Amino acid sequence: MRLLQLLRQTLRPEIVAAACAGLLLALPLSAHAAFDLPELARLMAQVKSGEALFTEKRSVAMLERTLESSGRLTFAAPDTFVRETLKPRPEKVSVVGNQLTLTSGNRTRTLRLDAVPEAAVMAEAIRGTLTGNRQAIERNFIATVSGQPQRWTMELVPIEPQVRDLVRSVQIAGQQSWVREVTVLMADGDRSVMSIEQVSSVRAASAPN
Amino acid sequence: LTPPEGLQRAAVLLRRGVLVVWLACVAAAIGIAWRTHYVADLSAFLPSTPSAEQAVLLDQLRSGVAARLALIGLEGGTPAARQQASRQLAQALRESGTFDAVHNGDNTQFEATGKFLFEHRYLLSPAVDVQRFSVEGLKAGIDDTTSLLGTPAGALIKPVILRDPTGETVRMAEGMLPAQSPRMDGGVWVSRDGQRAVLLATTRADGADLDGQQRALQQVRERFAALKAEGVRLILTGPASFSVDSRDKIKREVEVLAIAGGVAIVGILLFSFGGSLRTLLFAVLPVACGVLAGVAAVSLAFGNVHGMTLGFGTTLIGEAVDYAIYYLIQARSRAGAPPGDGARRWTAESWPTVRLGLWTSICGFAALLFSGFPGLAQLGLFSVAGLAAAALTTRYVFTVIAPDGAPGVGMRRRLGEAVGWCSEVLPRARWPLAALTLAAAAALAWWPSAWHANLASLNPVGAEQIRLDEELRQDIGASDNGTIVAVAAADEAGVLAQAEAAGERLDKLVASGAIGGYESPARLLPSPATQQRRRDALPEPAVLAANLQAATADGPLPARRLQAFLDDVQAARQQPVLTLASLKDTPLAAALSAQVLPGDGTRPWRALLRVQPVDTQPVDLAALRSALADLPGTHVVNIADEVSSLYARYLREALVQALLGALAVCLLLALHLRSWRRLLRIAQPVAASVVLVLAVMTGLGVALGILHLVGLLLAVAIGSNYALFFDQIRAQQDSQAPGPGVAIDTDTLASLALANITAGVSFLLLAFSSIPVLSAVGQVVAPGIVLSLLLSAAFIPRRQA
Repeated sequence: MRLLQLLRQTLRPEIVAAACAGLLLALPLSAHAAFDLPELARLMAQVKSGEALFTEKRSVAMLERTLESSGRLTFAAPDTFVRETLKPRPEKVSVVGNQLTLTSGNRTRTLRLDAVPEAAVMAEAIRGTLTGNRQAIERNFIATVSGQPQRWTMELVPIEPQVRDLVRSVQIAGQQSWVREVTVLMADGDRSVMSIEQVSSVRAASAPN
Repeated sequence: LTPPEGLQRAAVLLRRGVLVVWLACVAAAIGIAWRTHYVADLSAFLPSTPSAEQAVLLDQLRSGVAARLALIGLEGGTPAARQQASRQLAQALRESGTFDAVHNGDNTQFEATGKFLFEHRYLLSPAVDVQRFSVEGLKAGIDDTTSLLGTPAGALIKPVILRDPTGETVRMAEGMLPAQSPRMDGGVWVSRDGQRAVLLATTRADGADLDGQQRALQQVRERFAALKAEGVRLILTGPASFSVDSRDKIKREVEVLAIAGGVAIVGILLFSFGGSLRTLLFAVLPVACGVLAGVAAVSLAFGNVHGMTLGFGTTLIGEAVDYAIYYLIQARSRAGAPPGDGARRWTAESWPTVRLGLWTSICGFAALLFSGFPGLAQLGLFSVAGLAAAALTTRYVFTVIAPDGAPGVGMRRRLGEAVGWCSEVLPRARWPLAALTLAAAAALAWWPSAWHANLASLNPVGAEQIRLDEELRQDIGASDNGTIVAVAAADEAGVLAQAEAAGERLDKLVASGAIGGYESPARLLPSPATQQRRRDALPEPAVLAANLQAATADGPLPARRLQAFLDDVQAARQQPVLTLASLKDTPLAAALSAQVLPGDGTRPWRALLRVQPVDTQPVDLAALRSALADLPGTHVVNIADEVSSLYARYLREALVQALLGALAVCLLLALHLRSWRRLLRIAQPVAASVVLVLAVMTGLGVALGILHLVGLLLAVAIGSNYALFFDQIRAQQDSQAPGPGVAIDTDTLASLALANITAGVSFLLLAFSSIPVLSAVGQVVAPGIVLSLLLSAAFIPRRQA
């Protein structure tokens, strides 16, 4: 229903009406056949915590060459996500609940995540996907899931206009309950691609149905 | 005592003279009261000799920013409608000119501030030192900054990176962004649950200027109404709204109470004097004189009159009207007596008793005069001056204008008979009553003390408003009850350096996760020494150019594109050091005024560093204190703790003063009566009624506070008059020869009963007031004085005829 509300905000009424009709028709089918966001969230939620290595390549128009960095990602349900950059310089971004902690060198700063929308958008995209938090994703993005469980992609377009002025979309590609690649397309054409390699993961004792 | 003919004429002249003096006094008092400045802020209830921590609290309150805040919430409607309303309202309020600042999270208004900060970044950025401009320093700085590009956070740095490749802007912003900012939604501040848009406005009008604040709040309402935001409701709280609401509420209630009390008293008087308008006018004369004298005395001594003092003044009606009743009944002419006999007889027989009662009341309230809290001292002075004026009006004016009391009998013979009956029956219940009093005293000793009301209990604003205010403060991150590190020094440079020293310690606590962050004025305005050090660290053009060349050799940003950076650094080497004076009329000055409180000859300069907790956990004060222990002039102040300790001190001081006052009253009575037996006889009923009232209040679980104490003082002041009269009757009886024919003075008894009923009714009305200050007084005084009369009748038996 939330999705419908969002559509209503962004589209003209006649299109909404058509879309609603389409959705209603598609509903019985999608529940069985298509791989959608609820299905993906269920899949992802089976993993309670995990650790991975990442390498990120960022291309920025005004810079002479591509920026590369690498480090470690850890997450734990329900709401903890840490991105620790090891190269070229140590840096850490950790998100626990609504608290954002940034560590760089010997400096540490704590912020409320919801007070910094430009940081929240990235945190919610990755944390929400890794922990299978469908509500968090739908609150912030219009999500389009395609593919099959063994090879899926999800496109996240920010709902908030101010955020959309910065980030055009976040594309997440995965395999079963693991994320392989996160691509961020900035509104000004810059882009970053983060490749993720799984190290370990802890699954729930009994997968929720 | 009949004076010869010549002296009689002189006496008439003298009486006229008395009237003239009295009229002149009344006129002067009216003049003073007319010109008096009435205040309602909290500062009158702050101690004049504060502890170091309290001094911080006081300075913060005096700086006035806290008292000028208006918290605005927008609820209902769609999120988009709220956000739009927030933007439009903020814009309209900024244009209105009635506010110094309006914050709603929309940062576009800070463009000028941002430009100013950017232009002074090499003086203001905490990262600037000699190392920063070495090859390694430049490389690290540029790497830091470029690593932000291509992320949402980098969007802000992108437009300026060629002028600021080392990211000094980022470093400044890091320091200035508070850890507890409100949630952002649609570019404006919203509550954590997103259901409410929130704004924070600072009125231009001073905290004490209630009319100005009222106009500012009216602006908010009008501008909001003009928006016609569909479905959106306006919520207005904060100190500004509290003071204006309190004033309105007090004004409204004092009016209602004065009218209700007046009607009740007039009714009772008509009932007892048989409908004489003249008598009515006389009866309210001492009341009016008392209130006028109280206002004038307080105004002369303190320069202003607090709203609470004025509210309390209405309670004085209760005691002042007693004087009129005593006189008008007791001085009525007896059959066959010459005119003026009543006044002479009253002056001879009853005035000494009334005077003694006045002295005891003054003694009790004079104790408050020595309070370290100006507000309490005001209450004391008001009572002393008011009671004295009422009594003197009765003694010197009534004896001239109503030499034979008031005619008309009305129902008061019945009243006298009823009291006479009571005074015959009640003494039989003396021992059970004494036992009850002892039991009450034992219970009081056994029960935990009920003297634990807090400062909030003085607040006339309703609990619902206070809850709403707390919610909005949580949303905005502007909690009233936070923790502050306060540093003091002799001058501006010193206090900023001191703030930097404290900041270094706090940085370590932030790194270890003990605190979430802190706000420091030294981040907006570093000390001159620090700014000079940073400026001295900026290298010569040739050196910087060479270092930059080396640092960017194989980096993503080549040196050839960074000419603007080289130019800016060179320009910064010539920049004068920033001071408070040079920031005047910039938005930064407004922000700093809440954090740096200038000193004067008597007070030091003070800087306030607001400490933010980690998420919502309370700040570990012990860790904070030990981290800052060896810094001179530095104090950790928890506002909530200080406010409650302030009130506790206030209450403790007042309790001691009340006890001293009671002691002084006993001493006075002992000196005057020169009889332990009579002293005991008078003290018994008054003390017993205090004990009984306290026991009932404690038993009911009422949290007792300062106003209950003042109420008890008032109850003792009024109640002791009854005891004194009963004692006078008994003493008269004792001095007469034993045997039958002892006259029972039903008129004196009737006057006591009537005085008791009028005072009781007026305080009973107060007890139902919704203003805590007034209801506390009423709850204590109304039962206290009724008990005093009954117990006086019980404990001071008349000799049976």
